[in-house]
Amino acid sequence: MKLGILESCAVAAAVSMLFVGQLGSQGNGTISGVVTTKAPGPRPVRVTIDQRVCGDDVQDESIVVDATGHLANAVVTLAGVKAPGGNAAAAGIMNEKCRFSPHVQIVRPNAVITTSSSDPILHTTNAQTEAGRSLFNVAVPVPGIRINKPVTSAGVVRLNCNTHPWMRGWVIVTDEVAVVTGADGTFTLPDVPAGKYELRVWHEGLKAAPQTVVVTAGAPAKVSFELR
Amino acid sequence: MILLAAFALGLAQPQPATIPEMWDAWCARCHAQDGSGKVPEPTITVEPMDFTDCKVTSPEPDADWELAISHGGPAVGLSNEMPAFGDSLTPGQIRGFVAHMRMMCKDDGWPSGNTNFPRPVFTTKAFPENELVLLPAVSHDTAEIAVVYERRFGKRSMWEVVLPVHSRDGVDEVEVAVKHVLHSTGSRILSGGLEVVVPTGVIEPFLVFGTAIGGTYLQAQTKYEWPARPEKADRAFVYNLYAGRDTSNAPNTWTIGVELNGENRELALTPQLRKGLTKTGALGASLGVQVPLNQRQERHTRVVGYLLWEYLEPVRARP
Repeated sequence: MKLGILESCAVAAAVSMLFVGQLGSQGNGTISGVVTTKAPGPRPVRVTIDQRVCGDDVQDESIVVDATGHLANAVVTLAGVKAPGGNAAAAGIMNEKCRFSPHVQIVRPNAVITTSSSDPILHTTNAQTEAGRSLFNVAVPVPGIRINKPVTSAGVVRLNCNTHPWMRGWVIVTDEVAVVTGADGTFTLPDVPAGKYELRVWHEGLKAAPQTVVVTAGAPAKVSFELR
Repeated sequence: MILLAAFALGLAQPQPATIPEMWDAWCARCHAQDGSGKVPEPTITVEPMDFTDCKVTSPEPDADWELAISHGGPAVGLSNEMPAFGDSLTPGQIRGFVAHMRMMCKDDGWPSGNTNFPRPVFTTKAFPENELVLLPAVSHDTAEIAVVYERRFGKRSMWEVVLPVHSRDGVDEVEVAVKHVLHSTGSRILSGGLEVVVPTGVIEPFLVFGTAIGGTYLQAQTKYEWPARPEKADRAFVYNLYAGRDTSNAPNTWTIGVELNGENRELALTPQLRKGLTKTGALGASLGVQVPLNQRQERHTRVVGYLLWEYLEPVRARP
């Protein structure tokens, strides 16, 4: 499937909702909550190259937190609960104003990731596992180009750009039910069958212990994570 | 196509259209405009190869560079910080980049890396090398191993020392040789040299030739062994002919070949397999069987081969 520039971002943002949306049946419950931190957001990165495209500084997205401590870009996973089957969804990574967009996304194993660019400068999309094993590193030299690469195994994939060292992106490859927290730090996992679950949270720089949550039909379960 | 896509986005920024413009806009970020790899603000952690250093870059064949550009550094055993351009450039553009990079070595006279053909077991290569090579040969009743050290000097020359070790006689002679590239184009190379064996005093002038035709390597050697003291050794005319093919264009590919080895009227055939042991090709090995074609009562089938190390090349790069 070929994705347009805007569609690829939209697909990426919707991937996790697609997972949980397919769980649904009557009598299920909902898990919702919020992820917070007391860690401050880092200062913007001073740009010394390609300012005409990147600007004079760019946001350091390693911690994106609002004034009340709500943390974006955390991934909340329903441990051991597989997302419903079907074909692996496509996902998109856009090099946009010298940042990867989206910064964090969830894809299924064997998904095809389409990397693209809207910047008229050379970017590279360098994908590595957390252990540092190279998955691919493709040059994205011109805007409008689309390059498809598969990601096969589950795990955390880190994206770097070799020409703009501050650029970071993360692709969480999992077949479990998972969701990325929004700008307000909240998340919702709807249509979860009643039962007892472990809820894990992942963040690129902060951690918190898993929590146990009990889902009952028709009653929302509330969970809060504070990451340190 | 790519540039049209860029214009379709309505971008005000003009995109680079020629290979030099693309080099300056993209590659120079890490490799520098002149190819030296020296940039004021590096954005990568490894130091790129200095393309202006003819000694470093001239021995590499174009195929290695094309592979690095199209598939990225790991394809040739180098850093993964070198991205793959194969999805964004045409094969013609990639060849254009290689031609552009070749011009960064400003010094004429270096033999082309495209004539740096895989080493046969017996046929001497025409291309000068910096290598340490072990060449064992084992038959049912004898074993020997030759230890070879080769070192380039100047643009086109090389000297070497060979220490043959026999299972029965031990070390009883040393061979010292020089070799010079007499003629080199992008696909052919002719070298001449002189080997002296001490203490037997055999003087051995030789000519070696290599070319590639349709993906098949042809390498040939003739050598005349002239003993200064005839009571110590016999005169001999040695000739070797090798034909081989790579199974892919990667530096660590398998190469299938066969040699015809002759000394006066003695003939032998040596089918052989060669393999790069690391992705950079800095370590390599070959294994073959030398089968006498005549005078079989006096000569035996031997298992032969080599293990080589190009000691100035990186065996592997940092990831």
